[in-house]
Amino acid sequence: MKNTKNLLFILFFACLILYPFVAEGRWLAVGITFLIFSIVALSEDIVLGRAGMFDMGHAIYFGMGAYICGILNYHYGLPIVATIPFAIIIPALFGICLSAPIVHLRGDYLLVTTLGLNMVFLQVLENDAFGLTGGPNGIFGIDSLNLFGFQLMSQTSIYYVAFLFFIITLLIIKNLEHGKAGRAFHYLSQDPIASQSIGINVRFYRILAFALGAGIAGAAGVLFAIQYGAISPEAFTFKESVLFFAIVLVGGPSSIPGILIGTFVMFVLPEVFRQFDTARYLVFGLAMILAMVLRPNGILPFKFGKFPKFVREK
Amino acid sequence: MDIFFQQIINGLTIGSLYALIALGYTMVYGILKLINFAHGDLVALSAFVGMTVFAKILGGEASLFSVIALFLITMAVIAVAGVALDKSAYKPLRNAPRLSAVVSALGAGLVIQNGIMLTWGPNVNFFPGNLVPNIVWNIGGTVVTFIQMLILVLSLILMIALYLFINRTKMGTAIRASAIDKDASRLMGINVDRVISLVFIIGSALGAVGGIFIGMYYRGITFEMGWQYGLYAFVAAIMGGIGNIPGAMLGGILLGLFNALIAGYVSSTWTDAFTFLLLILIIIFRPTGILGEKVAEKV
Repeated sequence: MKNTKNLLFILFFACLILYPFVAEGRWLAVGITFLIFSIVALSEDIVLGRAGMFDMGHAIYFGMGAYICGILNYHYGLPIVATIPFAIIIPALFGICLSAPIVHLRGDYLLVTTLGLNMVFLQVLENDAFGLTGGPNGIFGIDSLNLFGFQLMSQTSIYYVAFLFFIITLLIIKNLEHGKAGRAFHYLSQDPIASQSIGINVRFYRILAFALGAGIAGAAGVLFAIQYGAISPEAFTFKESVLFFAIVLVGGPSSIPGILIGTFVMFVLPEVFRQFDTARYLVFGLAMILAMVLRPNGILPFKFGKFPKFVREK
Repeated sequence: MDIFFQQIINGLTIGSLYALIALGYTMVYGILKLINFAHGDLVALSAFVGMTVFAKILGGEASLFSVIALFLITMAVIAVAGVALDKSAYKPLRNAPRLSAVVSALGAGLVIQNGIMLTWGPNVNFFPGNLVPNIVWNIGGTVVTFIQMLILVLSLILMIALYLFINRTKMGTAIRASAIDKDASRLMGINVDRVISLVFIIGSALGAVGGIFIGMYYRGITFEMGWQYGLYAFVAAIMGGIGNIPGAMLGGILLGLFNALIAGYVSSTWTDAFTFLLLILIIIFRPTGILGEKVAEKV
């Protein structure tokens, strides 16, 4: 069983590595989009799936990363590589500051509060705060990535940079699955009071989940800014947040294959069915309802616990 | 001072629209503990249905009879849609994890929104403007239109009627009992499934009135407007204490007033930000809303 799983993963990575050799133009762009949104969805999953907090404002951190990259590059002339650390650390700090007063809220109220923060963030962008964000039009003319003197202009090179970020994200999450923090997230998502009584600092780990999720989403934001060379507020509205929220729950919380399938269904299939154009979101909504009715825990939910063989086979 | 009274009137008008829509959110939440994200889209749908009913069935002739018929037909259509929504998207998920139903609601919202777009087109549609007489009163510099008066009075009547229905009738008692404890209500012989359908009927019908009012007041209607009005109404419901019916009414009115005063005195481009900051502050300091009860934490 474990071997088949590993084999499937190896096959998947091989496909991802070889993808730019078979795809070009629009399809390569779709591949980059898949990688970027997978990273964001995986980071949302740390907060929503693993730590069990209803975060419906994750586009804030994604957008913050993209805007930090854009502002530092456009207004202050920093090379893109140098903006990456800022685009990870600042959203992570914001994740800490924004979540600290609200992590104790019960489910639905947390959902509404994060949604509200997303609306505030959007208005800050749209109103051209401090003359930096460029208002409703956003920022145009962000440089391409410059690595060791090589200008990485082509779609293929952007694809591989995104792939690198994707692998790093997966490694972080794998590490989380086996590490202390990951187990703490799991316990407190199941029952915060019980986990407090066995000595888990609930508040600390909840804020940690937000910080981690925000940092990773910020890094994905940089990729987004590089891919389009431009950023505008409409890519980071609360509808995007809702989409990430839905990806995690449709795909299956805390499950890497589930999230990847979720991202594929939500972002790649609409591209494939472009000829149906106007009707595709209708079909999409129907698919969301159907997926939830048939598999309320997500398409590929993660199964916890190891049962002895005789229990499993009954 | 003129601008102050003017903004109070505008705020009360928008506030009662929000309150009407918020009632749909709060009643469903009270019973199912589900944020019905598709409610805003039902409201948008009602504006379009109202427009079409008036043009096609009632022949576009404005009279007292046709306006009343417009309201009744639209309310009936949207009530049926609301019940259908519950039966198809929420009922199969009654015993599933709570978030599954939220995603299902989001999906249903997408379906309704894009159904509207495919039927009536992606552009702005215009609600007929000849429904009610175009009377304008000028009271000491403050302008009040007939539509505003109609919205205020009719919303007030509907809210009082709902309050009496919930508190004075047998069905209302059944709704309140089911909101407190579904299983115990079932043991007392209450048909909870029927109560849930009733809640969807009432909530959707009130939302339909809100949608028609939006059409009459703003004229321009788009397929996406459900998100916007739905979100504001939802904020109103949370502010008042979600699940609490008088709370939703109070929250709607307060939100409308707050919005209008911010737009009038501070800045109209920052209204959303101020509204949501207010919401966040209220939730942080009074997590169950203005009229919400203290809920004991499960140990």
